Formats: sequence, structure tokens, C-alpha cells
Amino acid sequence: MKYAYFLSCINESMTKEVDRSLERWDKDLDIELVKLTRGTCCGGSNLDYVSPDHFLVVNGRNIAMAEQMKLDLVTSCNTCLLTLRRAKHILDNSPGKRELVNSFLLDEGLCYTGCSDVKHLLWVITEDYGLDRLAKMVTTPLSGISFAPFYGCHILRPSSLLGKDNPSAPMSLDRLIETLGGTPVEYPSKNKCCGFHTLLVAERESLTLTGNAIEDAIRSEADYIVTPCPLCHTAMDAYQLKAMKGRGAARRIPVLHLSQLIGLALGHSQHELGIDRHMIT
Amino acid sequence: MERREVSFRIYRYNPQVDRHPFYDNFKVAAERGITVLRVLNHIKENLEPRLTFRAYCQAGICGSCAVRVNGVSKLACTTQVWDELAESGDEPILLEPLNNLEVIRDLLVDIDPLLEKLKSNSSWLTSSIPEQQMGHKEHIVSETEFEVIDSASDCILCASCYSECSMMGVNRRYISPPVLLKAFRMNNDTRETLAGERLKQVTADHGLWDCTHCYRCVEHCCKKIPIMDGIHRLREEAFERRMSGSEGARHAQVFFDDIRDNGRLKEMTLPLRTKGVAGSLAMIPLALKMAIKMRTPPLFTKKIPGIKRVRELYLRLEKLNAERQSS
Repeated sequence: MKYAYFLSCINESMTKEVDRSLERWDKDLDIELVKLTRGTCCGGSNLDYVSPDHFLVVNGRNIAMAEQMKLDLVTSCNTCLLTLRRAKHILDNSPGKRELVNSFLLDEGLCYTGCSDVKHLLWVITEDYGLDRLAKMVTTPLSGISFAPFYGCHILRPSSLLGKDNPSAPMSLDRLIETLGGTPVEYPSKNKCCGFHTLLVAERESLTLTGNAIEDAIRSEADYIVTPCPLCHTAMDAYQLKAMKGRGAARRIPVLHLSQLIGLALGHSQHELGIDRHMIT
Repeated sequence: MERREVSFRIYRYNPQVDRHPFYDNFKVAAERGITVLRVLNHIKENLEPRLTFRAYCQAGICGSCAVRVNGVSKLACTTQVWDELAESGDEPILLEPLNNLEVIRDLLVDIDPLLEKLKSNSSWLTSSIPEQQMGHKEHIVSETEFEVIDSASDCILCASCYSECSMMGVNRRYISPPVLLKAFRMNNDTRETLAGERLKQVTADHGLWDCTHCYRCVEHCCKKIPIMDGIHRLREEAFERRMSGSEGARHAQVFFDDIRDNGRLKEMTLPLRTKGVAGSLAMIPLALKMAIKMRTPPLFTKKIPGIKRVRELYLRLEKLNAERQSS
């Protein structure tokens, strides 16, 4: 299996361990992720406010590069997923916009046609690869460990653009945890917002959202939180102490990326997967 | 007609009498096709006359009967009991008041805070037609012009989005999705004359830029209105009107600039460029802790290969925008 892999800015800077643990998928799972090195930042739900045309051209270009490679485009970040899929939705449904974007891409030998899908890593592993197949690859089952699955907003909502999980009761990450031998816990915050996107604009409110979700996971007696999004990870790991200040929580809770969760079940060490780089370990 | 006994667990609270909220259980013989509102009416008429809720049109038009059904905000009058049974399985169907609004009694909430926000953000049309000519002169809105605000005009102020909003849950002063939607609807009406003034109101503290883009409002809108599209459009309008001095707008500008300069976000200086020097000082302790774990972003962001191509695209786009503005 082969995909074009979209490089998220946060994985290139703060959460480098995500891509590090993904590099093992080629050997472990025969999933080749070809890095889209010439691709740009997707604009992270912000670029389009400054200029909707820039948003379309930049992301049309990103997707067109995957098309040129005749591959689907995969991302490990929820917000990159939604941003790219929003651009794709607009371009697929507006011949005028598509023509505009292509007039800009022509010089680079690129053309957006809409033939490549934009997927999240979670969907690749649960749908394309398949959980039955993954179960056979598990060497170190995560038995006796309970995980609070935290999906993050931009892999669930709006369901009109994403539409894999029921946003009110998502289950794909829960099933992945079960497949790897772990126990998913039910808790109210699994489909809630981590607050990341307003951390620099409305910090107090954002940290309350982050703290609410972490407190919920601790109350559910989970050993770990697991998330498919490096932005949710940053909010819940790097900001955990700040978010939990004054709440009197009994303990801290480590947060794992989806790729690290799989890596652990495939027998890799915490160090190999960069888990020791996390703020809460 | 298929019929079965269905259990309901209903939130009860009279702040004047009860020290704490509690739940009452009711069993109702319900046939396929019955709505949650019909059940509430049945309980009030036959089982518990004190049960308090708000309802009027019974047809999904007035927006008064929104409650949380199995934890999700929706209109009681358009929610089918049998659909909820599919969700709740053997558990009773849970009925609770909307979130983020004070409970007056049982399922009835006080929507005055929402109405006050609508008032303080001029959520009405200020027509270009002088008042003395009202009724004498028409201002025609073409079909194409109305299409832009068609969906937003469907809002019935049921407050489901207000109840589901992440930011409302942690800051009751937040402007809220329905007020932002109204601002979008009015600002994009071709008859409107005070769009700039309204935009100033909605971009004030606890306003437009505090939305976390969690899309819960969109997901739970009973009229399927793409509320976030309206919020996006208001943010675009803020840039068009050069109202880009707020932290939220500066944050968005950083993405635009960094893609042009590096192809990637320069995370190291992102807080500084969003919050300014004074605002960033408080982040130093966290940055130091992250440095120990080698999690701080690099000081110099590596440019992507072929960044020249991206810059060329920006130049051409700027030229296109200049041509559009001059025409």
C-alpha cells in the first residue's frame, strides 16, 4: 500500500515523534508513506480568512502533487485533514474555481482533477488496511491497559465533509484500541474539543476545555489518552500541567498518538517511538 | 401500527423548591411515528402536570421546544422516539434542558442571554431606504443575491447550537453561534447599510475570533445551516475591511505570511506574532519546560524545496486581486 504523506507543520517542529513512529509502518505493515516534501502548510483553518483564493491555490497544489504521483493523500493531523478536504470539496464542486486554481498550477506542471482522495491515517489503518489484518501483526498486545480515545473535532465534524464516524458516538479509534489488545473506556469527552485552536487567542477558555477533557479521562480511570491528532496531543500533553492547575486532580495522564499506540503493539519501545519526548510520561 | 412501551428519564428541577436537580422516570406506550414532544405532552396531560417545558408550533418552525435528547440538543417536535430508541438501546431515553442557559424549571431554560446578545450586536437589518419611505419604495433583492443568505435565513433561534457550542460551555460571555450567524446574514444582505459597524461589534472581546472551529454548531443545527461558513465569511470580511489588528486576525495573517516565506509555519515565533511581546512573556516557563524535552520548534524554519514557486503563486494571486479591486 502506498500513499502520498502530507507533512504537517506541527510534526515538523514540536511533535516530531509522530512522523518518526510512522517511518516504521513501511517495514512493519507494508504501508509506504511518500513524504510530500514540496507541499506547503495547509493554512490550518486560518489562511482562507486572509485570502480564500490563496487557500484554494495552495491546497489545490498540495492535492495535485499527490495526483501527479497517482496516490491518495494521507495526513496525520485532523486540522490538515479538514482543511485539505474543504479545499477538495470546493474544487470538486466548482468548475470555475478548479479552472482558476489550475491556471496557477500549470507552470509547475500540475493539474488538479479531483482523482486523489484525502484521508486520515486512522481511516487508512481501520478501513484500507483493515483491523483484521492489523490484529495478525500485533506482537505485544496492550492487554490490561485502558485507553481514553480522544478523537478531536476535525476528524468528526462537519460530518458532511468527513463522514466516517458518527460525530455523537464515534467508534473507529475504540475498535483500533480493542484490535491492539487494549481496553477503550467510555467517557463524555471523547468527541469534544481540546481547545487547541484558540490557545493563543482565548487561553483561559481553551485551557478550561483542555482541562475538562483531561479530567474526564482521569475520572474514567484510563491509563492513557490516545488521539489521532498532533494538535490535540499538544493541547493535552504540553499544556496539561497548566490546564489542570487548581483542579486538584489525583494524577497526570500521559497522551499517546495513534501512531505510537500502534507502534507499541507492534513491539517497539517507548524510546523508539519518541514517547519519552512527551511532557507527561 | 407498531407500538411498544418506552422508558423516559427526564431532568427535573425547580430552583425555588429543589436543592438539587433530579431525574424522574416515566413509561409511555408509544407507537412508531410519535415525536418526543408528543410524549412530553402526554406525560404532562396524563402523568405529571407539573412537568415544565416550552413548545408551540409542533412543526419545527418556531424553535421553542429544543431540549437535549440522549445528550444531543434537538427540537423535541421533530425528533422521532423510534430513532432515539435505536441510539439508546435498552436504556431509557434521556431528556434534559439545553446546556449553557440557566434552567427556569425542568426542561425550560431562560433564553434572555441569547436575546440580549442579539440586541447588543444589532442583529437586524438597517435598510438603505429612509424610514419615511418605508412601505412606499421597494428594494429588490435578486434571487442570486438572496442565495448567499438563503440558508442562514432559515435560523429559527432554537438555541441548539448555543447549547452545543464548546466556547459557550466555558465562557457564557462568548458571542455564540446564532449571533454570529445573524451578523453574517445581515452583513451579506444587499439592503444592509451598517455592516461595518456590526462587524466592529462582533469582533469585540469574546467575539468572532474566539470561535474554536469545533463545528458542533453545524453538526447540531436543526435546520442544517452551515454556520461555520458564515463565521468564516465574517472573518474574511474583517480582513477585507482591514479590521485585522486583533490577536485572532494576527494569528491568521501569520499563516498567510509563513506559507509565502517558508512554505511552512514558523512555530517558534507564532505566539510572539499573535500575542505581541507582552502577551508572549507568560509562555516562557512552558517554552523552557518544552526545551528540556527537546520539543521547542526550531529557531530557523527550513524552507520547503521549491519555495520560489510558492512565492511566484503569491505574486500572481496578488496581481489578480489588484486587478479585481481596480475593476
